[in-house]
Amino acid sequence: MSLLTQSMRQLLRHTTQRATLCGAMRALSLAPTLQQQNKPATIDVSAIAKEHQKECQTVCERINQQVAKSEQGRLFAVVHLCGKQFKITPGDIILVEGYWPPTIGDEISLDKVLLAGARDFTLIGRPILEAGLVTVKATIIEKTLTHTKTHFKKKRRKQYMRINFQRSPNTMIRINSIELTRPLDSNAEPEAEPSKRLF
Amino acid sequence: MVFLNLPLMVRARGPDEFWRKRRIFKLAAHYRSRTRNVYTFAIRSVHRALAYATKGRKLKKLDMAQLWTTRVEAGCQQYGVSLDAFKEGLARSDILLNKKILSELAIWEPRSFEALVNISRERAAVEGYPDIKRRSAFNQVYGLNNLKLD
Repeated sequence: MSLLTQSMRQLLRHTTQRATLCGAMRALSLAPTLQQQNKPATIDVSAIAKEHQKECQTVCERINQQVAKSEQGRLFAVVHLCGKQFKITPGDIILVEGYWPPTIGDEISLDKVLLAGARDFTLIGRPILEAGLVTVKATIIEKTLTHTKTHFKKKRRKQYMRINFQRSPNTMIRINSIELTRPLDSNAEPEAEPSKRLF
Repeated sequence: MVFLNLPLMVRARGPDEFWRKRRIFKLAAHYRSRTRNVYTFAIRSVHRALAYATKGRKLKKLDMAQLWTTRVEAGCQQYGVSLDAFKEGLARSDILLNKKILSELAIWEPRSFEALVNISRERAAVEGYPDIKRRSAFNQVYGLNNLKLD
């Protein structure tokens, strides 16, 4: 505390030499001077916005070109399915645990795509990518039950013992394809009204 | 043993003794030493094993969660970002990937993971999240190069 008062007294003594008290306070602080440049930016925001947009466009164009020439390689995607997220790529088989209505042979498209990527680019959804940008097709190939799980409880010296057996349904899904269906548009506006898709 | 009088009848536990024991012995078949062959030992270890298996199913989920956390944390450390700051930045950017996926991305898709770290760091810097020391590119020049840190 004494140190602080001392430094404050010194500070006040030198105030006349300094331009302002504020400036003197700034000199006292430990932070580097770089962070204290609070002069207003004199930059034309619109020009920067344009430049920024241009950069976005070039990125999108490059991705579109790559997709048009189909040089992007194998795509991967992160989908949300039955409360879980799966990172998938064509040919994968994923396992959905618990009750899930679709039956064997059903072809479904997984719409909740959180992220899609290839060798040179990644599309990140906030939280999901817009509808129709990436289509993920899948087929249900197997519906089975899990192995028998033994639920066993016992308390020592208390004559308490319970044993139950349980099997829960499992569904296997094969991912057929992951495709970018339409070119990226850097100027795309977010949907005006919330989407009417039901998940 | 023949159970003729009443006290011994009470002690008799039915005609299916062989089958009851066999059920336990089948589960104990791969155990070592007398736990495999002696019923009193076998039933003890079988009960213990079944109880462990029941508990283990819950523990497995916790262990996996811990493992994912460790992996994501290691992934963040490469870029000098703490796990909390990373997750907070992602959440504020409406990116709702879970820990399992983030850990998988950190391992198998390093470039995607780097992009996520950059986004998160940028968001944290813009919103002044306390853990972030680095100044935001956003604050210096509004909107320009906001993803090009270093």
